[in-house]
Amino acid sequence: MFACIYIPDFPVEAIVRAKPLLRERAVAVLEGKSPLTRVIALNEKARLLGMETGMTKLQAAIFAAPEAKGPAVLHQRSLDQENSAHSALLDVAHAFTPQVEDTATDTLLLDLAGLERLYGAPAKMARNLASRVIAVGLEASTAIAANPDAAMHAARGFGGTTVIPTGKEAQRLGVLPLQVLLDAFAISPQKNSAADRERGKQREQMLDTLERWGVRDFRTLAQLPDHALASRLGEAGTRLQRLARGAGMRTLALCAPPSRFEEAMALEPPVETLEPLSFILNRLLEQLCARLETRALAAQELRLRLQLERRVADEDTTTVRELEVNSHIVGWATFERTLRLPVAMRDTKVLLKLLQLDLAAHPPGAPVIKVWITAEPAPPRSAQRGLFLPITPEAEKLEITLARISGVVGERRAGIVHLLDTHRQDSFRMERFVTAPEETKQAEHPTTSDIEAHPQLALRMFRPPWQLRVRVAEGRPVSVSSLPIQKDRGELQGKVWWSAGPWRSSGDWWAENAEQGSAAKDQARPWDREEWDVALANGNGKSVALYRIYRDLGNGRWFADVSYD
Amino acid sequence: MPSAATLRARVESSLGERLSSTLLLRERTAPLTVSTGVTALDTLTGGLPRGALSEIAGPASSGRTGVMLAALAGATRRHEVCALVDASDSFDPASAMAAGVDLERLLWVRCSEHANAPRRKGKAPRTAPGRLNPRTTRNAGFAFGGVLEQVLKVTDLLLQSGSFGMVVLDLGDIPAESAQRVPLTSWFRFRRAVEPTATVLLLVEQEPCAKTCASLVVRLEREAVCACDSMAVVTSLCDNSRYESGVAEDARTCPKSSPTGASQFSPARKRWGKWEIDPSPVGAAQVHIQALLTPWRVVAHGGPEVPENNVVSHAALLCGMRLRAEVVRSWTQRKPVQSAGISFELRAAW
Repeated sequence: MFACIYIPDFPVEAIVRAKPLLRERAVAVLEGKSPLTRVIALNEKARLLGMETGMTKLQAAIFAAPEAKGPAVLHQRSLDQENSAHSALLDVAHAFTPQVEDTATDTLLLDLAGLERLYGAPAKMARNLASRVIAVGLEASTAIAANPDAAMHAARGFGGTTVIPTGKEAQRLGVLPLQVLLDAFAISPQKNSAADRERGKQREQMLDTLERWGVRDFRTLAQLPDHALASRLGEAGTRLQRLARGAGMRTLALCAPPSRFEEAMALEPPVETLEPLSFILNRLLEQLCARLETRALAAQELRLRLQLERRVADEDTTTVRELEVNSHIVGWATFERTLRLPVAMRDTKVLLKLLQLDLAAHPPGAPVIKVWITAEPAPPRSAQRGLFLPITPEAEKLEITLARISGVVGERRAGIVHLLDTHRQDSFRMERFVTAPEETKQAEHPTTSDIEAHPQLALRMFRPPWQLRVRVAEGRPVSVSSLPIQKDRGELQGKVWWSAGPWRSSGDWWAENAEQGSAAKDQARPWDREEWDVALANGNGKSVALYRIYRDLGNGRWFADVSYD
Repeated sequence: MPSAATLRARVESSLGERLSSTLLLRERTAPLTVSTGVTALDTLTGGLPRGALSEIAGPASSGRTGVMLAALAGATRRHEVCALVDASDSFDPASAMAAGVDLERLLWVRCSEHANAPRRKGKAPRTAPGRLNPRTTRNAGFAFGGVLEQVLKVTDLLLQSGSFGMVVLDLGDIPAESAQRVPLTSWFRFRRAVEPTATVLLLVEQEPCAKTCASLVVRLEREAVCACDSMAVVTSLCDNSRYESGVAEDARTCPKSSPTGASQFSPARKRWGKWEIDPSPVGAAQVHIQALLTPWRVVAHGGPEVPENNVVSHAALLCGMRLRAEVVRSWTQRKPVQSAGISFELRAAW
């Protein structure tokens, strides 16, 4: 048993998939450079208006005029959207069965052998397939028959879902016009343009011949005498007749499931603000998540690529040169952002919010004319938490919260801190905050012995250190005042009531002579300092605070970098 | 004439179905508490209440950060996820690790006055709201207003996301007058947001500013500072305000010190950063520097003679502080506690 999924008017469907509101309107797809732009595909509503394939753009524009009744929508062909739609179709088919033949862009053949126990009767399978295709935004004709070619002819010839019982192929297919047979005959599984042209030419010749004979449907062709047909049309004629009888049997040329999850949309006119762009991103993410869902996958990483209009939006502040050197912008007309997600997810709302927040923090700087969203697939998160474990923030919610916080405090200013393996003071790096891996053991509640009887003395850092003016007597600091340039940070001045030190430390001197630009030179600069612990009295001397001040022996300047608390 | 109880029972029976929530007095149950990480503070306060706002107030070098890290260490030890909203970017990860905080479970939010400053210098870009162009954020208002605005926004976001075991707002370096200009409605909103959750909202500051929105307010003061040098000399610095009266010229110990005096600080050999101190037994000599108005007096108790000036010894290091905690407001009692206080120590990790 074989099934066929066929998408009628595929170029139109690919566009309507991204813009569902167009489904209610007449749509014609144009291709070619002006003035040779022609209509290559149109939907049923456009046909009812009187439009035909092959019309020039000028002819089609009459139907699209605002004064026309139910004006048609003319849309330029989008190969990116067709590729996305085709990939979505392949995802649906591969989610159903691994044995799939990628017959044409708009046609897939599936081997259903052994799937009855899983999906039920053939009619149920056909409906199931159709509903899955609708879930990814396409409308398809599905057919099930005993052989792949019969299924394909039925899908292409009949709308909706069709099930042909075994042995009834010739009877059911007999009413179909010969055009369906020859269209299917012209399809070549090999993506070879030369072979396609040859088969197209052969198709035209055969159609001419058969029409001159008065053969216009499957039944008439099937009833022609075998030998007479073979002597006149050769091996191709015999094959055509076998197909018309629904008797052809062949092996499917199986294909691999698509590994790339990408959705794209061209924007006409260019989008200048974030709000309308959000609607487009939402639609693309819905399609992407539907595809991921059909394959039981989720997105681990999301890449957004925007093609920008070829002008710089804000000439005063952003020059082309600046755009080129900006690390976020690849080239001068493409803007790219990558969201690495802590856990694999496929919630459209969460992903959209993350993209919105990211774009708000990193605006592309120019109107957008095309959008691509690519997802890096990964198995979805499967969490089974213990009943007695403390609750932790939900990963999706936490990610949005972190993105919002980054929008408030800035990039890389919220996360987990990791100490570096160095003696240099205040050496750490910030990393993305993710909730710790699920603990299988029960949470350890602190016992009395766990609680520190004497908690630790802590430091409070000054970032950057305060530059000080220090008066020294007998080798020890006796008074401290901050430089006037740092007055906006507050006051740090007073008499040193107590001091202890110096404590000398130095490091990374070995990197001093490292080659310019080498990794060692970049990572560490040598330091050499003399530290003092001081008690400073502020104001009337009633409040004394403890600080660590140091003298940079490299340049002789004094700084305060720590207060004890 | 029916009694008041009878009348109330009649009214409740007739209106109870419609106005049950109005007539019934809700009994506020005691909140669950978690340890502060300091035994003495737990004894004094009963712990930090969940679903409530707690404040730890004190001047600089009064041990607020040490107590905050102890509370965070306790929370992360319970496998809770915590967040620290750092208003002045003063968090020291090394201190936190030494205090036992699991840094993997701590979200550190570094607020800064200049976090959202324009990226490019020069003329400000012409922008419109929502446009896909570079934009700027202007922070205007009172001093530290931009930072406080960030702190409040971030705290709102964290409380809304929920599921954090402890959220700490560190306003320790924000001047008290700036912190107290935060509208009371903000603290009220935070209290309402945290009430139905199991989150401990902890505010570290110089002066209490959440007023009635706080369920627990603890004020910390430093009593003494202990320093030891490489010659195993222990020094105790006592604030003059506490010992101003009755200062004798002769040798005396710090009256608020533990019975064994400063000698109980026994630094162990620990490497932290670049510092490594001598683990020789402490107590061979004791020096107490009393913080008088001017000058401090240096009084020696046996051992090597210490010159009468500010010099204690070479490379002396702080090894601890003695603190006094006082409960200003507590969820356990409606009226502020007048004299509940306790002393405890913070030890240096090095």
